[in-house]
Amino acid sequence: MARTRAVLLVVLCAAPLLVACGGGGDRGVILHWYVAEDTAGAYRQAAERCADASAGRYRIRVEPLPQTSDTQRELLVRRLAARDRTVDIMGLDVIWTAEFAEAGWLRPWTGARAVQVSAGVLAGPLATARYRGRLWAAPFTSNTQLLWYRKSRTPSPAPTWDQVIAQAEALPGGDNEVAVQGGRYEGYTVWVNSLLASAGTELVADPDRPDRARAGLAPGPTREALAVIRRLASSPVADGGLSVATEVETEQAMLSGRAAFSLNYASLYATVRDQQPALLADLGWTRYPQVVPGRRSRPPLGGTNLGVGAYSPHPELALDAAACLRSAPNQQVAATGGGLPPTISALYDDPAVVREFPFAELLRQGIEQAAPRPATPAYSDVSLAVQLVLHPPASVNPDTVVPRLRRTIDDALTSKALL
Amino acid sequence: MRRLGWYAGSAAVLLVAVLPVAWILSLSLKSPATVTDKRLWPADPTLENYRSIFGSALFTRALVNSVGIGLLSTALAVALATPAAYALTRLHFRGKALILPLTLAVAVFPPVAIAGPLFDLWRALRLYDTWPGLVIPYLSFALPLAMWTLTAFFRGLPWEMEQAAQADGATPWQAFRRVVVPLARPGVLTAAILVFFFAWNDFVFAISLTSSDRSRTVPAALAFFPGDERLSQPVGSIAAAAVVVTVPVLVAALVFQRRLVAGLTAGVVKV
Amino acid sequence: MSIGGATVFVPRRPRRKRRPQAGHRTAWLLTAPAVIVMLAVAAYPVGYAVWLSLHRYDLRFPEQRGFVGLGNYAAVLTASVFWTDLGATVVITVVAVTAEMVLGFAIALILRRGLAGRRAVRAALLLPYGIITVVAAFAWQYAATPDLSFLSDRAWLGERWSSFAVVIATEVWKSTPFVALLLLAGLTAVPDELMETAEIDGAGAWQRFTRVLLPGIRPVLLVVLLYRTLDSIRVFDTVFIQTRGANGTETLSLLAYNQLAVRLNLGLGSAVSVLLFALTAALALSYVWVFRADLRELSRGGR
Repeated sequence: MARTRAVLLVVLCAAPLLVACGGGGDRGVILHWYVAEDTAGAYRQAAERCADASAGRYRIRVEPLPQTSDTQRELLVRRLAARDRTVDIMGLDVIWTAEFAEAGWLRPWTGARAVQVSAGVLAGPLATARYRGRLWAAPFTSNTQLLWYRKSRTPSPAPTWDQVIAQAEALPGGDNEVAVQGGRYEGYTVWVNSLLASAGTELVADPDRPDRARAGLAPGPTREALAVIRRLASSPVADGGLSVATEVETEQAMLSGRAAFSLNYASLYATVRDQQPALLADLGWTRYPQVVPGRRSRPPLGGTNLGVGAYSPHPELALDAAACLRSAPNQQVAATGGGLPPTISALYDDPAVVREFPFAELLRQGIEQAAPRPATPAYSDVSLAVQLVLHPPASVNPDTVVPRLRRTIDDALTSKALL
Repeated sequence: MRRLGWYAGSAAVLLVAVLPVAWILSLSLKSPATVTDKRLWPADPTLENYRSIFGSALFTRALVNSVGIGLLSTALAVALATPAAYALTRLHFRGKALILPLTLAVAVFPPVAIAGPLFDLWRALRLYDTWPGLVIPYLSFALPLAMWTLTAFFRGLPWEMEQAAQADGATPWQAFRRVVVPLARPGVLTAAILVFFFAWNDFVFAISLTSSDRSRTVPAALAFFPGDERLSQPVGSIAAAAVVVTVPVLVAALVFQRRLVAGLTAGVVKV
Repeated sequence: MSIGGATVFVPRRPRRKRRPQAGHRTAWLLTAPAVIVMLAVAAYPVGYAVWLSLHRYDLRFPEQRGFVGLGNYAAVLTASVFWTDLGATVVITVVAVTAEMVLGFAIALILRRGLAGRRAVRAALLLPYGIITVVAAFAWQYAATPDLSFLSDRAWLGERWSSFAVVIATEVWKSTPFVALLLLAGLTAVPDELMETAEIDGAGAWQRFTRVLLPGIRPVLLVVLLYRTLDSIRVFDTVFIQTRGANGTETLSLLAYNQLAVRLNLGLGSAVSVLLFALTAALALSYVWVFRADLRELSRGGR
């Protein structure tokens, strides 16, 4: 009978519900930490250590997010927009602070705690955690890119992009690629932003004033910056898969020997050391290339800040826990175990950290002089606008594309753009 | 000679239909180290991918969600559609001619057009990331499908048997229970299977209206499987999960073959 | 999403003139729940979508909600992205549906032969039909990834037209069985006597095909064509999994999703959804109008 079947089906459905509703008992409060895990488990260690130090007041459960920034944002943003109460602590990419703060998804840091998590922190990362005068997150890890090269092929790289590309082109035989992240994702905007900053201009002027924010893009410097993209994309030393290359591909290019130069984050060193130690002796590193000869380059600025969700039912505990998670000992473990550069300046002199990063001083310098991406709430749209107009790299025409880029960024800043 | 041509065509169809499934099966049996060996069949088949997906709550929870939400949607759709289909085939009433075209119209709505407003609505009603939050939009395609299949099926039933039973002295209710229900059962089962498959298959609603393993179904979980750093996707795990959710389809294709084909084509030709 | 069967042949028995008059009330009582639920779960959200599309509604700027009239539509229709994506959708639809109809017809002809083993073929056909689209997308994606594939060394998903090829192949693989099974049912309805009479009258194989068979299944063909077209316009799952819209393969559904779920711009996203819905409706209506004679014949039943 149809009716009996229906009843049976409903009962069948209820069973899994009952299973699902059963929850374990908990000792103390469980705080959920949404973060993309590092490969060495350093985050979990930090979570354990802080839980122990809390003397039973809370435990921290790591909820892993995917590895790409775009996907992490997508998943977090949806939960926050739905006022998810399980989001206690988040590992925030440095570019999300303005967006999340403006939308009311973050709890601000104030008073003594704010002082505690700002003390001794490098200026660049600290600025990424602030928006419109308030502190919205606690700086945790940082990152920047260096120019990595094969010492045997190029004993001393030149300082500017054009010269580096020329050096690569002049190398005899194959295996002379210059590997850059040219895929259609956030990594591409990172490159574009650093080029523009190195040339002396910016993507967005007044980014933290939503009523006044507009596209920057001074004509001369912008053209110079975009000319670098065109130069590389049309050069024989560009990777065939430049238009889909991410950090994975650029690291791989160095490991496989295809590349003479590779623009990569600090983690390349650890990767080479672990996967191809023989290559280590030949691996050189130097500062991010300049766009304008003599003008100091502005490398990319990455990293993770720790934010507390506005809808968390345990704000005070979460703030305490986050403050513990980003403390110096945990940052040191994240550096030595997870290969993630710290934000506390003093740690760059720590012997264990220097052992992990022989280029520690260069790293600190790079981070201090890095170019942050625009701190506007509409940043993700601005990034999409950049990807829409300037991708694939081979299509960039510095003489004609700037007006369209400016228009699209302006539309993005006012939520009018279809992207 | 021409006969051979037809047989070759038959074999080709069989091969093409099965090959992608075999391929994903093969990938699921490769270990992470050998997944890039580019062979059609693994040299050293291993079940470690299956072990790993059943070891994590992510996949098992997604399975529970898929099964539960699928069954709930099916039950609701069939429960609502059966009386309606009965009325449409057996009874005369004004406005009757509008109903089937209405179901057709509802069925061609793009799911993404419904998902957007629902995301906003569910936020306010706290139905986001819950089972009812998915079951309700599922009815937007489950109901029309159930109604079409059942209507078409019911039209082919010998209704005079019901009248004969009444003529023999049974009450309308008895006639319904003793005669109509057994006749209708196969159609209801077919409609249920077809609806369940559609709910099982949904992707747009699943990724738009869920965010955690509370209600995320398998297709959505597959799309957001956490990967390790080296490969951007955990190919072996995804393949294993894919095989696991294809097994019911396989079973149904073998066991319910005739019923399914009849249900699909019901209405185009007399069943 | 497809629905089996379109409209219905009345059984060939003589129509009964008398039916139990159960009254309008019972009838409406039985059908009302289904109708109400359908309107609630479909019409209401679409109505809400229309309302949303008339506002600037960005979840990241909650204070800046406001009525903008047709502003969102203007932004959408003047954006090159919209037209590119419309083009991509059209390309996928036209190529995939054509392939499905042709291949489906061929397979139906093969099955109609009544060869040994056809039950196995039919069961095999149910596999692509029943398999989850996302799974099919992964299978074909992994066959097109140079690092994994046993078939090819080329990065199919790295360029525009080869990406289209993979997406279309997946869609065709998934949907042709549906077409084949329906066309087979339609073919079976063409009585063998008609074909035999034609043969006796001296018609060649090709003439039998075009003059007897095709006209015989024309109504079914058109209905299947309509369903597949409307379904293909909404393609989402395959493109999402395989390319996420990269390389110019983004479709209208994916465009709407990106505005809604990724950018949280409900105003713009709803505008795109409404346009997509209008496009679907316009297609369906114009189709029904152009082929109204055939569809009427199909519902009248019998010849």
